Amino acid sequence: MAQLLLLHLIAAALAPWLAKTLRTKAFPLLALVPATAFAWLLVVATDVRDGNLPTQRIPWVPGLGLDLDFRLTTLSWVVALLVTGVGALVLLYCTWYFRDDDPTLWRFTSVFTAFAGAMLGLVLTDNFLMLYVFWELTTVLSYLLIGHNPGSSTNRRAAMQALLVTTFGGLAMLVGIIAIGVHHTYSISALLADPPPLDAVTVAAVVLLLVGALSKSALVPFHFWLPGAMAAPTPVSAYLHAAAMVKAGIYLVALLAPVFAGAPAWHALTLGLGLLTMIVGGWRALRQHDIKLLLAYGTVSQLGFIVAIAGLGTKTAALAALALVLAHGLFKSTLFLVVGVVDHAAGTRDLRRLSGLGRRMLPVSVPAAFAGLSMAGVIPMAGFVSKESALESLWEEAQEAAPFPSIYGYLALAAVVVGSALTVAYTCRFLWGAFATKPGVPPTPITVPHPGFVLSPLLLGVGCLALGLLAPFESPWLMPYAVTLPTGASPEPLALWHGVTVPLLLSLVSLGVGVALFAQREAFARAQARVPALVDGERGFARTLRAVDRGAVETTAVTQRGSLPIYLASILLVFVALPGMAAVTQGRLPEVRLWDNPAQAVVGALMIAAAVLVLVTRRRLTAVMLVGATGYGVAMLFVLHGAPDLAITQMLVETVSLVVFVLALRRMPTKFTRHPDSPSRTWRLGLGAAVGAAVGVIALVASGGRTTTPVSVDFPTEAYTFGHGKNIVNVTLVDIRAWDTLGEVSVLVAAATGIASLIFVRTRNTRLSRATAKALPSSNAARGTWLLGGRTMRKEKRSVIFEVVTRLVFHIMLAASLYLLFAGHNQPGGGFAGGLVAGLALVVRYLAGGRYELDEAAPFDAGLLVGLGLLVAVGSALAPLAFGGTILETTAVDFTLWPWGEVHLVTSLVFDIGVYLIVVGMMLDIVRSLGTGIDRQIAEEQEQDEQQQETEDEPEELQTEGARP
Amino acid sequence: MTAAVLPALSNLSTLPAAFQASEVNYVAVMPLFIVFVTALIGVLVEAFMPRERRHRVQVSVAVGGLLAAAVSIFWASSNLGLTMGLSDGSTNRSLFALAIDGPALFLQGAILLMGILGVLTMAERFGGVGPDAFTPSGASTPGSPVETAATRAGALTSEVFPLTVFAIFGMMLFPTTNDLIGMFVALEVLSLPLYILTGLARRRRLLSQEASLKYFLLGAFSSAFFLFGTALLYGYAGSVYFGDLSSAISTAPLAMNGLLLPGAFLVFVGLLFKVGAVPFHAWTPDVYQGAPTPVTGFMAACTKAAAFGAILRLAYVGLDTARWEWSNALVIVALLTMVVGSVLSVTQTDMKRLLAYSSIAHAGFILVGVLAFDRTGVGAVLFYIVAYGFSTIAAFAIVSLVRQNGAEATHLSQWAGLGKAHPVAASAFAFLMLAFAGIPLTSGFVSKFAVFSAAVGSGATGTVLAVVGVLCSAITVFVYARVIVLMFFSEAPAEKVEVVTPSAMTTFSIAIGTLTTLALGVVPASLLDLADRASQFVR
Repeated sequence: MAQLLLLHLIAAALAPWLAKTLRTKAFPLLALVPATAFAWLLVVATDVRDGNLPTQRIPWVPGLGLDLDFRLTTLSWVVALLVTGVGALVLLYCTWYFRDDDPTLWRFTSVFTAFAGAMLGLVLTDNFLMLYVFWELTTVLSYLLIGHNPGSSTNRRAAMQALLVTTFGGLAMLVGIIAIGVHHTYSISALLADPPPLDAVTVAAVVLLLVGALSKSALVPFHFWLPGAMAAPTPVSAYLHAAAMVKAGIYLVALLAPVFAGAPAWHALTLGLGLLTMIVGGWRALRQHDIKLLLAYGTVSQLGFIVAIAGLGTKTAALAALALVLAHGLFKSTLFLVVGVVDHAAGTRDLRRLSGLGRRMLPVSVPAAFAGLSMAGVIPMAGFVSKESALESLWEEAQEAAPFPSIYGYLALAAVVVGSALTVAYTCRFLWGAFATKPGVPPTPITVPHPGFVLSPLLLGVGCLALGLLAPFESPWLMPYAVTLPTGASPEPLALWHGVTVPLLLSLVSLGVGVALFAQREAFARAQARVPALVDGERGFARTLRAVDRGAVETTAVTQRGSLPIYLASILLVFVALPGMAAVTQGRLPEVRLWDNPAQAVVGALMIAAAVLVLVTRRRLTAVMLVGATGYGVAMLFVLHGAPDLAITQMLVETVSLVVFVLALRRMPTKFTRHPDSPSRTWRLGLGAAVGAAVGVIALVASGGRTTTPVSVDFPTEAYTFGHGKNIVNVTLVDIRAWDTLGEVSVLVAAATGIASLIFVRTRNTRLSRATAKALPSSNAARGTWLLGGRTMRKEKRSVIFEVVTRLVFHIMLAASLYLLFAGHNQPGGGFAGGLVAGLALVVRYLAGGRYELDEAAPFDAGLLVGLGLLVAVGSALAPLAFGGTILETTAVDFTLWPWGEVHLVTSLVFDIGVYLIVVGMMLDIVRSLGTGIDRQIAEEQEQDEQQQETEDEPEELQTEGARP
Repeated sequence: MTAAVLPALSNLSTLPAAFQASEVNYVAVMPLFIVFVTALIGVLVEAFMPRERRHRVQVSVAVGGLLAAAVSIFWASSNLGLTMGLSDGSTNRSLFALAIDGPALFLQGAILLMGILGVLTMAERFGGVGPDAFTPSGASTPGSPVETAATRAGALTSEVFPLTVFAIFGMMLFPTTNDLIGMFVALEVLSLPLYILTGLARRRRLLSQEASLKYFLLGAFSSAFFLFGTALLYGYAGSVYFGDLSSAISTAPLAMNGLLLPGAFLVFVGLLFKVGAVPFHAWTPDVYQGAPTPVTGFMAACTKAAAFGAILRLAYVGLDTARWEWSNALVIVALLTMVVGSVLSVTQTDMKRLLAYSSIAHAGFILVGVLAFDRTGVGAVLFYIVAYGFSTIAAFAIVSLVRQNGAEATHLSQWAGLGKAHPVAASAFAFLMLAFAGIPLTSGFVSKFAVFSAAVGSGATGTVLAVVGVLCSAITVFVYARVIVLMFFSEAPAEKVEVVTPSAMTTFSIAIGTLTTLALGVVPASLLDLADRASQFVR
């Protein structure tokens, strides 16, 4: 069996080439492929009947349970016969349907052959996953076939619709398959042999499988895709929508019926929806004017009928279902092919314009009549036999009340009679519409079709009759499937004449009513027009699509408008919702002491006030100041808590950040663009508060979760014995955690270098511009002036008092920074704090006198300072190794220096000096890049603006003309 | 390094008796080592190689190094186990920084191979001096005289190659690290180069820079969350090693859960941000759109691989014992990710944004596999990552070829009718779309199937996830089908859109990506088998 599929695949691969060279002559050649399969099926027919089922197993992806397992059962044999037989005839028919110069022939031939192969694979496979694979292949390939003529937007929409509906169904089916496969097996024969218990998972899986089947077979509510798909070329409709693809759903229902017919919801989905579809389809078919569309709705109706019977779950019904499948495949493909011939010959499919074709196109109208009679269920056609047997199965159900109460059986019987009556009516409408001579309509001009063109419909049409006449011989071949059903007695064999039975009477009733309906067609059409559409799957589909579309657009508009605050807000919301809530619910809060000293509360209140004011203010500078205020508040808290050292550091860091902010803010608008009392600010306020609260709670929980003694309890003694210092914080930095500090300063160096070069690529490491070397041309100040600002700054920007005070304070600040550095070991201070003070001194010089003044005060490159600092720090870390110590070991040296007195020198001071230098260098870098750099940029921009203004002033005409596209 | 330093610092009061050298299995870490050295060589080349030869040398160095590293994985695979650390004899703990195991090596290999394809697409020059997708002068203001001058002077951004290799190093490290600190280091090593690469697009530079800034800011936030979580988990377990964490969870008192859960959530936030899971996905569309297209492809494939590797390790090795506490939150994230990713992709009009949302949806599908919590789940996730990665690199490479007036034509309307004028490129792209949709005989189907069946096998929650996943797949089918319809069945726009002819390198990437997509769809058995064998973590 795999060989047959391979044959299809090879044929599909060669088809484009064949189509290019042979043009339409390629079709008969390709038709040999399904014909071969058909022949093989005939060869093995007796084996299948006798139960020697051919099987074939080829491992493919054993890890997933996805294997090329094939086996031929009676059910698959029947469907395969239809698929291959009709496939071969339709391909033959294509020879005359297409024109030699059709540019898309290469694609069509290939896709069509591949489709035939996929369809064959679908019915042959014994693996649910392969079934799904072939299922989706037919979906995709049918999409390409329906969209064959992509020029029209109708085709595109129809193709898309069919694809979406069937893919959706297919995916639902996949879940069902997985659910069954994971819990039981992926093998179809194993499942049939050993059905799983009907627990919740299995029932859900069965329902999902049915959704797939119903969508493929175009049952309500998925029925709308099939008429839409009529945009496809007629051979495609004849094959896909009569014989092959739509039968896949029926195949699945019939496949599962022996084991799952007892599942809850099974009958509601198959019988209920099937019969509803039968009536809806028949009803709609009567309203069509396009004979192809009429057939499409007729197909929908028939498919509903077959699904209903296949899903019934009794032996009689199973036999009837197979007979229906065969009969329907034959008559519907005949009719579609006939439509194709008529369309080609007459140039229209509108039954209001077709007239008098019957007599003139006998080779077409005769098979059409056969097929039509078969569709209407008239003796002695195949359709009659199968419908008789279907009615019989329902009648038997109603009598025996198994597998469901007889009231439903009678209802179903009534529905089938109504549906059949409609079928008879639309069959009449079709035959009349296509072939009758209508009064008042001139005979449609026709071109006589090629004899080959009518060959396929003729053969199929005769088949309808033959199958009916040979009905008694048909049963043994179908019976092996029927007996696999658990319910019901062994069915009567198919026959043309069972005697005068209830089904026969019902059949006659429906025939009579149907003919009456057709006779009174105008009155009935008026009645129909007054009944609103009950089930409008298409509108529902469109509505769903629109809802998804609209939902997507609106969600995007809200969440994805490129606004960083909104993105961040979503992350923060999750932060509050998950970790925050987890901390609240799971965490254990320690005992909270509100304050040691009421002053702490006051400071805290001030900080909160400052934080709230930040959100209310409209000026950037004010906001920065207020943020700074919260920082100073923290410093105050440190002081009140007895940590002067931390307080100093915090204070200095805060000051430096403030300066950096101010330097950078020069390039920004003074006010925030957003109005402070906009609603977004309100929710941000709330979110901010929530995040703050969450962090607070987590911090509390974390500190409450302590179970072991903190390492820091040993710090005081260790700091004194090993670090020789009384300031624990400083000793921690330069001794206990000196490795950390070393790492941190290295990162600091890298970061400072990186930031400086990122912000101003050009100004890093460039020439220093000392004030002494430059003088404004307008100024004629003498050399040797103490206040250099006069040479370089514009008068209106100077503040003499500030400059004087700066010059006075500068050296004092430097001295203070050195004091902090040296005293840090025992007193509050240290290299970091000292470095910040020195840096601030430089900042003050810059603020007072501009960039030239800064370069005057620090006439060296920042990078040099930073590098030197790192060198000193690393050197002092490694130095102890030379004296037999370990890295970063601290030694104290005590000696007396004459004017000074006792000196207690600790080697870690050298390390601290390194830190000091690095911090000063980094501060210098900041001022140079953010201060000087921005100064230069401003100056350059001003020059550019001036130049631009000059150029803009001149050519006024250019401006008005400059309406660029 | 971290392994040696940390215990020494945290146990100052009880100094270790003697210095214990850390054990390093050099063969096992060889792939990582080679990639790191390659990156350093790239930096040196950047500094010393004359400009006219730099591009070629950089590409050869990067590709050669990555290939060598990929080859060395074969040797590493026979040296599985924990390494880079020491076994603490007194407490019987194993303090190792790296776990060289199946998932780690599988992902390393995947990242290397996808990285090679990524580098090859980035190297596309279209006859220019430097890589075509990158601006010659990243630091200059868009449209400024400086930029013009740089272009005129023939500046080129060949530093993208060492940056990429550094990122690959971080990505390889990410699923390999066995402790939270190492994981954080890897996170930063992979992220920082990506932040820069994002901002270097040659065209639409403001968009690119905005994307870079957003990515950086949000990424910095999520990194901070990761660190915050690490601190809490350290407080909880007294150790950052996954092994310790896992055993601490089973022994620690319940009262400590106040540290465990927030810590776990915060760490997951950091990781989920990297894979673009909802609600941490917001950066994805903006960044995917703004970044140079080859970078986007590289990022979509490799970052996802690395981050899912890290998520797997955290979920299966570090926090596995506390699974019941956090898995529900992850289930919600997975549901949201699938739904938002697929629904929002419906409305996109920009190809790159569409692919971004598609990547979000895929992240959701992969998460479903992660939540299966068994070996089949791990195997499925590994397979999915490879399948998706190769397809997505090829897809973005094709996007970078579709041009209008020299600039990339990413608006969907510009893709109309592409199938008629350029059938090969359009067919390849259509095929990739089918793979993203999960149609059988593409890798997308096999990977989705593997993930969903693992989920269904794991129980009721998994089944719900799989059902939602399938529904979302149906939605994405709509999206991808629409693209195919647009390409093949619509009229071309008035202004001509062309597909530029790429160099052999890009062609190679596209071909390999597409063929892998096909091969993994038709003969997936060998890779599935490999992924399955590689699905065992060492502890």
